[in-house]
Amino acid sequence: MTTAAAWGLTFACKTADVRVGEPKIVTIGRIPVGIFQLEDGYAALLNICPHRAGQLCEGPISGTTKRTDKTEFVYVRAGELIRCAWHGWEFDIRSGKCLVDDKLKARTFPVHVDGDEIYLEMARKP
Amino acid sequence: MFIVDTDVHNYWSSAEVLLPYLEPYWRDFLVRGEKPGPRGSFPHGHRPWLHPEGFSRHDIRPETEEDNYLIMKEKHLDLYDIDVAILTADEPLEASTLANYHYANALVKAYNDYMIDWWLPKDSRFKGSIIISPTDPHGAAAEIRRLGDHKDIVQVLASHGSQRPYGDPFYHPIYEACAEVGLPFAIHFGGQGGVNHNAVAGGPTSYYWETHALLSQPAMTHVVSMISNGVFEKYPDLYFVVIECGVSWVPSLMWRLDANFKALRKETPWLKMLPSEYCRRNIRFSTQPLEQPQNVRHLWETLEHMDGQNTLLFASDYPHWDFDAPTNLHVPPAWRDKVMGLNALEVYKRIEASAATARIAS
Repeated sequence: MTTAAAWGLTFACKTADVRVGEPKIVTIGRIPVGIFQLEDGYAALLNICPHRAGQLCEGPISGTTKRTDKTEFVYVRAGELIRCAWHGWEFDIRSGKCLVDDKLKARTFPVHVDGDEIYLEMARKP
Repeated sequence: MFIVDTDVHNYWSSAEVLLPYLEPYWRDFLVRGEKPGPRGSFPHGHRPWLHPEGFSRHDIRPETEEDNYLIMKEKHLDLYDIDVAILTADEPLEASTLANYHYANALVKAYNDYMIDWWLPKDSRFKGSIIISPTDPHGAAAEIRRLGDHKDIVQVLASHGSQRPYGDPFYHPIYEACAEVGLPFAIHFGGQGGVNHNAVAGGPTSYYWETHALLSQPAMTHVVSMISNGVFEKYPDLYFVVIECGVSWVPSLMWRLDANFKALRKETPWLKMLPSEYCRRNIRFSTQPLEQPQNVRHLWETLEHMDGQNTLLFASDYPHWDFDAPTNLHVPPAWRDKVMGLNALEVYKRIEASAATARIAS
């Protein structure tokens, strides 16, 4: 048993299964999860959108336009956002927060990397 | 629960699937003639609003023509246990934007034959729509009479973008043919380019999302026009189905119409009932995209004023970006059986009621 497994973490996939811009969708038990590689590490989101239960992690990874005070298009946060595959709502991949509605948050799972294996904390903290 | 999805888009990967169904002159036109995009694109005058992310759900990625059905089966028909899916095509609705109405007629005729030949036999849950190009009402009427007796065809369908309000007597040959073969006449959001230049009242908007929110505008015009021009006096059994145009605007429009009619009835002496009574009797509205207020009870109260329990038909709009899943439709729980399926049986009489009876009994 690996160290991570011994800590009660759940195996998700190999690091080689995920690339920047190319997430891996895994099913753990009956829970679908999207595993993302970002420039500074990994993140995991429930593949069920909190808006209308669409397949959140199967949409495009992208940036967006910065909120500005004048008519201009400033592209920011490239690679940090996921647009839900169904209705296109934008979510921060790391925090799961919806950009247009602070109260709406996709469920995130803390990620641990042990060698070439990615593990998730599936249980909510008490 | 018995589910009839009244708006399921049967995509193709290339419009060249129509080639075997086109007569030689029109086949040459589609192969060698000018198109609005690369080979395989469908001839049409495109709307001036471009969706910044594309129209389809991003989890629907067909690679072959067969995938268009297989993915629909897996991700929609089987997943939600849908009993009847009414196919509403996609690009063929845009034939109404072409100036050359002969070409438009040839394209929709080819689509209708392709749909009957390729789509309907694939799945017993499928029912078809005859797509027409209303720019030539007599040509459209001929197409309705050509195919109108097919047992799995349940409606006649045109784009909501048009050159004139649909109640205009110019279009009455279409309704005469619908009445003759016993099919509803439906309109669906689309056809907002080319010769249909009146897509937005007040002038063209700039952005896709604002334009999409105004999709009810032409539908309002058509509903008013169909009532005022006496279409439902001439054809009292005709159902007019408004697909993908929103619903919550209907009550306020009927309040205005009834008030005006009471004062100025003499302008349209052929009408025997209040406008809202024709609406209740002859017009049905598909739910998608159902409005999403913060408090759903505000929506439900509004829908009560249009007798939504009896006038709404469930639609998903699969596989588009503003898709409504059957499991997530916010209508009053007591209405669900009717809105999800039973109301459709009143409108689409060729859907066998026995299927609903069996499902409800199981």
